[in-house]
Amino acid sequence: MLLPQNLVKEALWKASSTGADYAEVFAEYTNQKNISMVASKVDKIADGVISGVGIRIFKGTRCVHGSTSSFSPEAILACAQKVADALSGTREMETIVLHERRFGDIHPIRVVPASVNNATKIDLLREASETAKNYHSDISQVTANFLDVDHNIMIATTEGLFAEDRQIRTRMAVSAVASKNGESQTGSCAPGGRMGMEFYEIHDPKSIGEEAARQAMVMINAGYIPAGKMPVAIGNGFGGVIFHEACGHGLEASSVALGQSVFAGKLGEQIANTKVTAIDDGTIPNGWGSINIDDEGTPSNKNVLIENGILKSYMIDKLNGRRMGMDSTGNCRRQSYLYEPTSRMTNTFIAEGTDKNDDIIASIEYGLYAHSMGGGSVNPVTGDFNFAVNEGYIVRNGKVCEAVRGATLIGKGAEILMDIDMVGQNLERAQGMCGSSSGSIPTDVGQPMIRVSSITVGGR
Amino acid sequence: MNYQEFKNAVVKYATANEIKDYELYYTKSDETSVEIFQTEIKGFSSSNSLGICFRCVINGQTGYASTENMSDEEAESIVLRAIENAKSLESDAPAFIHKLGDTYATVEKEERTTPAASELVDFALDLQKEIYAQDERVIDGTQAVAACVSSEKAIFNSNGIDLADSASVEFCYAMAIVSDGTDMYDGMEIASGKMANFDKTEIAKEAVKDAVETIGYTSVDSGAYTVVFSNKVMASLLSVYSSIFSAEAAQKGLSLLKDKEGEIIASDIVTLTDDPLYKDALAKATFDDEGASTYTKNIIENGKFTTFLHNLATAAKAGVKTTGNGYKASYSSPVGINHYSFYINPVKGSLEDLFAEAGNGIYITSVEGMHAGADPISGDFSLSSGGFRIEDGKKSTPVKGITISGNFLDIMKNISSIGEDLKFNPFVFGAHRCGSPSVLVKGINIAGK
Repeated sequence: MLLPQNLVKEALWKASSTGADYAEVFAEYTNQKNISMVASKVDKIADGVISGVGIRIFKGTRCVHGSTSSFSPEAILACAQKVADALSGTREMETIVLHERRFGDIHPIRVVPASVNNATKIDLLREASETAKNYHSDISQVTANFLDVDHNIMIATTEGLFAEDRQIRTRMAVSAVASKNGESQTGSCAPGGRMGMEFYEIHDPKSIGEEAARQAMVMINAGYIPAGKMPVAIGNGFGGVIFHEACGHGLEASSVALGQSVFAGKLGEQIANTKVTAIDDGTIPNGWGSINIDDEGTPSNKNVLIENGILKSYMIDKLNGRRMGMDSTGNCRRQSYLYEPTSRMTNTFIAEGTDKNDDIIASIEYGLYAHSMGGGSVNPVTGDFNFAVNEGYIVRNGKVCEAVRGATLIGKGAEILMDIDMVGQNLERAQGMCGSSSGSIPTDVGQPMIRVSSITVGGR
Repeated sequence: MNYQEFKNAVVKYATANEIKDYELYYTKSDETSVEIFQTEIKGFSSSNSLGICFRCVINGQTGYASTENMSDEEAESIVLRAIENAKSLESDAPAFIHKLGDTYATVEKEERTTPAASELVDFALDLQKEIYAQDERVIDGTQAVAACVSSEKAIFNSNGIDLADSASVEFCYAMAIVSDGTDMYDGMEIASGKMANFDKTEIAKEAVKDAVETIGYTSVDSGAYTVVFSNKVMASLLSVYSSIFSAEAAQKGLSLLKDKEGEIIASDIVTLTDDPLYKDALAKATFDDEGASTYTKNIIENGKFTTFLHNLATAAKAGVKTTGNGYKASYSSPVGINHYSFYINPVKGSLEDLFAEAGNGIYITSVEGMHAGADPISGDFSLSSGGFRIEDGKKSTPVKGITISGNFLDIMKNISSIGEDLKFNPFVFGAHRCGSPSVLVKGINIAGK
């Protein structure tokens, strides 16, 4: 147990002394290790413990948050007092009874990464790195990272909840640079999971290195894409970043509750093409963005956000739920105890459709096939999004032709959702780190191949 | 356990494990912020954080371990973990714990007092009122935030270096949302420094202007345009590409400036300076994150690339002296390299003069998606952008829904005029920030209609 129950109870009691109608103590003890390799040599190892306590109180829709890096009873109680001091009322809650709740673990871990020595991890990393380097003589540099995180959390609230969870994740990221005639292009591959070392039984390090190098080689031999508006087929897996940026952030209660999202007030309305069904599901076993409980202690759910184009649900945390008059959907997340938690995505993806991938490509007379996407960003207020295409190809007369570099897709979320007019059948998820107000958290994006009828492609 | 006690415990365990070369790096930060929604306090947050990193050199390799938990067990654990990590490393970079002997610049420290929580609350409430008062199109969703941050940093090592520094900053920002009945538009303005000097009305006015100005925007035809990059946008571009000036990136084959020291890499009107002690900086750095002294230098002088930024390891490898740019991204990070106040020197002329010189073109005032659309390895960028048309030498109607694309080094070479309106990125409060005046560049590819 991270903190003794009687200390937690005392902190909740103190925090709620000035009229709060809800108080919450979140404690965290995280071990994380990041081994980085440059040119197949171990270059740096960062190895850290992140630990501390965050305390929140609500009065109506007002929230006060405080945090401390110390686990000492004095520091925790002082933090509770400081939080309470931000309100000036009198006690409303008369008793606090905590019930220990066990939610079980739907993401079993077989080999805890901390139980394995550096050498074993380094061998896996070297295998990936050398495979990438040996892929082609034009591969000029390879960097590779091995990350493992053991994130232990405890949440107790004045509603009586006392719960703990242990979230173990591992990820390998390889980046390969191809150089030719004074130009350089980068390819990357970075799979991860809420898993232990058994992750590498499924994901062969060689295939990770090979994929990064393959992409770099395709792009070093590619020309630049001519700019313009055109139909675009977006590949599966990380292609789902389009939904994450164009729509996902706008469905987070943190934007919706304040009226800062174009999707506010649109439940039950058609906001997307009828081909589109989109889901946020934190319960996928061992998924990178999966959680047993969220950072307010609510069990994670599978939430259908959009069904056949109709907006069905937002992603909601307790505080914004109060403003919206809705219950939490189990989406409250924070990077660490230092960040005030809010509604965030878990594993968010467009569900499989009825179109065949070959038909999607065949339907395009002239356009872009974005095989692999890079990151992107969105302004939820205006809905303006942008994202980069890491590996793209020109489509001519229904056939995938030469590779092109330098493409960026831009548009407005509400418009692109209507323009997704074909949805394929090869759903795949891919891993990312999503940055927002409550910090950087692991999330999956995903989709089968889709077609967007028209989108502005930046190029030259 | 306080830091002094923790430090003593670490020294004890380092000695017991026969570690001779080590360093302890400590940071502490206190932040208080208040956020207003409609006319009420929406959130109040107060966080205290600290972090400690131990690193030691064993057989020429530097092992690291860090913690936020000051206990005797952790003191022992970070020493043992760092030793284990050092033994796994295979780096061919030389390893250093800095030696005594540097002379450090002295800077005058302003006496800084932290505002009381109630002052922050009152300020933010007033700022929110001011935003709504600016324009009847301002709608709910608009937010005002006021905050203060104070931080401390200390470096202690086995060679006798024992340095400490502290900084504090107050800041506020206004995020205005306006609606024209169908669409929403947002605008932002930020002020930092001392709260007593912030002009609420001015901040609110700028935020609302930023939003309102974009109403009625349209796209432009795809093609090559003469572009004026606003000082803010040029500073953002410089920031994304600042890693190409790192000797570490170059030595690892990850910089497009590799082997280009002494060559012309920019237009002859470009001089790029790195200044750890820049006069208006909120935080000045007299020592870097390895304890080496810092100094001001030109990185590009009249177009010529003079030097990479170095730390002790890259400098030793290159056979030069460190430039005092050793940097830890957070207390737990290994030592890398970063710039300080890093800016393109102002030349002459106002923004209006640049518009006049451009004649017809596009004035770019915003770029989005830097982390995805700008690649520091190739120098290529393709970025979602917005701004205004320049027609007959004057700023004209708003433009959005376009992308600009090119290569950073091509931009540096093709800068034909540099204004005098140097501005630093206002969202960076620490010592590491980028700045630029507005610049004129011809032949930028724009994708639009």
